[in-house]
Amino acid sequence: MDTPSLIALVAIALVGVVSAVIGSLGVRVARSTSDFLVASRTVGTIPNAAAISGEYLSAAAFLGVAGLVLREGTDGLWYPIAFTAGYLALLLFVAAPLRRSGAYTVPDFAESRLGPGPLRAVCTAFVLLIGTLYLLPQLQGAGLSLTTLTGLPSWAGVLGAGVLVVLTVVAGGMRSITFVQAFQFWLKLTALLVPTVIALGFFFADDRALDRPTAPVFPAETTIDVRTPVRLEVAEPVELTAAGTVDGVPVAAPITWAPGVHEVAAGATLRFPAGEPVPVPAGSPSTDRAWLDPLSGPDGERLLEIYSILTAGILGTMGLPHVLVRFYTNTDGRAARRTTVVVLAMIGGTFVLSVLLGLVSRMFTPQLLVDGRTDGAVLLVPTAVLGAGWPGWLLGGLVAAGAAAAFLSTSSGLVVSLAGVLFTDVLRGRFRDFRFAAVLSAVLPIALALSVTRLDFSQTVPLVFAVAASTFCPMLVLGIWWRGLTSAGAIAGMCVGGVTSLVGVVYTLFLTDRGGVLGVLLTRPAVVTAPLAFLTMVLVSRRTRSRIPLDANRTLLRLHAPERLGLDHDRAEQQPSSGPQ
Amino acid sequence: MSTTEECRAGTAYERVQAGPEFADLRRRLRRFVFPMSAAFLVWYLAYVLLASYASELMATKVLGNVNVGLVVGLLQFVSTFAITTAYVRFANRHIDPAAERIRHQIEGQVR
Repeated sequence: MDTPSLIALVAIALVGVVSAVIGSLGVRVARSTSDFLVASRTVGTIPNAAAISGEYLSAAAFLGVAGLVLREGTDGLWYPIAFTAGYLALLLFVAAPLRRSGAYTVPDFAESRLGPGPLRAVCTAFVLLIGTLYLLPQLQGAGLSLTTLTGLPSWAGVLGAGVLVVLTVVAGGMRSITFVQAFQFWLKLTALLVPTVIALGFFFADDRALDRPTAPVFPAETTIDVRTPVRLEVAEPVELTAAGTVDGVPVAAPITWAPGVHEVAAGATLRFPAGEPVPVPAGSPSTDRAWLDPLSGPDGERLLEIYSILTAGILGTMGLPHVLVRFYTNTDGRAARRTTVVVLAMIGGTFVLSVLLGLVSRMFTPQLLVDGRTDGAVLLVPTAVLGAGWPGWLLGGLVAAGAAAAFLSTSSGLVVSLAGVLFTDVLRGRFRDFRFAAVLSAVLPIALALSVTRLDFSQTVPLVFAVAASTFCPMLVLGIWWRGLTSAGAIAGMCVGGVTSLVGVVYTLFLTDRGGVLGVLLTRPAVVTAPLAFLTMVLVSRRTRSRIPLDANRTLLRLHAPERLGLDHDRAEQQPSSGPQ
Repeated sequence: MSTTEECRAGTAYERVQAGPEFADLRRRLRRFVFPMSAAFLVWYLAYVLLASYASELMATKVLGNVNVGLVVGLLQFVSTFAITTAYVRFANRHIDPAAERIRHQIEGQVR
């Protein structure tokens, strides 16, 4: 193993060790509301906001946004914008009332608002489903990082990361988890800030232009091993040496690609001389100018796709099981609001850095476009900018550490939420040990991550958000703002939204995309499935009007009366310092 | 808290809920949250429409490599942050004091 790989491995191991050490300083495992309340009295606004941002900014955000911008250019801005706006929607519609409800998981909220019954089981199933689906890209991202940085097989990354996450969850208490995640956030921010500043410095010093009517060019002679079949598009003739099956014909010689689309089979090797134009995945902008301009001309399918991504991001954030829980680490609503402002600044700032890094990566690592590993851009920019040598390797180590932190923070948050639901709702005391639930909740995602072919973050992450937007989002929003919601309506809506969006998940994960409007709707289902879920919930609730809970008025009063009213008895008892004295 | 007290508390809540102060509080909150959400949705959707139907404008260079599309895109982050700040200031200034008044009213009735 060479020096840069070793540095990257040491950096990743260090993050694991430091996280475990900070985590083990606490003793209790977080599994009840009061644990969060305990944490709230000892954690300040800034560390708390850092922890929330740390948990929200996953490996997908850390790696995926820059990779997306590398491939799609200005159009790639939609994803981070949607995820940031999602946090705002969460604040406006859900955060404060949910905090006042005293429920700390979605199933708890559903039961306290709409009464006991099968609804709780449906919610539990969706928490497990969404959590598992969201862990999948995180684990596969860890595999991708390991392969990109060290050349080790990706299953080693998936397994190693899975074990590391379970260990940190088992070792951590709520107070320490907060500090672990705060530490991981600052690490991520540094790991994006330093390479972005350096790369921008080089970019401006070279006086290079991004806005050229041509494709990006290979900065040096580049050999690419194609691992999965790809369709590549070139805008101008490209000379290369190919070995393997290209355009359906076996070749082993220098060839010239005419402008158009070329198919390369798995196992082929392509060697491009320095200065040749870089082929891009078919369908992506092939010249730099088209890449930098948002949406060249009206294109119905693309427009539909963007609206769907926006819907998924904005509505889906409030349905993610690990995000909601975090609002309990604030002492009161006022503190929660203050924290949210800081969180939005942190999330927005991180995304802007990712976008900038993605823009300059077009200059330094265009070869990633060829083999569809654009998600690795953040990891490879340091050595591409600084060259082989200690400065580049050390910077690479910092970025590797950032990626590990990004991966660990979101995944541990997800495992905590999954294990909490498994422990209270599924196992129901059959096993005394919360740690068993933590292990159990990680097994299925790891198995899935090992068996399913990895897709780009830009495909998998919006899908998970789409499922959340079509199930929990309508249930929470209607449950909080509409008196007429019934248990039957909520179940029907979540099932309709859940099943239709899951069709999209199965289609994207296991079948090949056929394109067209139907293809867009299947891979980006949110724009149809979320409104459908809302509509079903309203219609079925209307028909079952007689089953509106008797205490609906009183529950809504409690959800909407600011907590300084002191109406929230349960919480007041648990936390005498903020109750009415 | 004993059952009788709970009953009395319950009626106090109901009275407050029916009262003008609480209705005013809810109206204020809704009057802020819903138009604000509508405004921010329109702003996001407008950007998408601008990008597809006014691509000339969006491709206009502002400075060096930076075009209007990129600037507006990055402004979306700024505007999200601005809306959040506005909401927090609004809640601190208008919602919390109103809540405080209602709370005193309830406590007066329960005790």
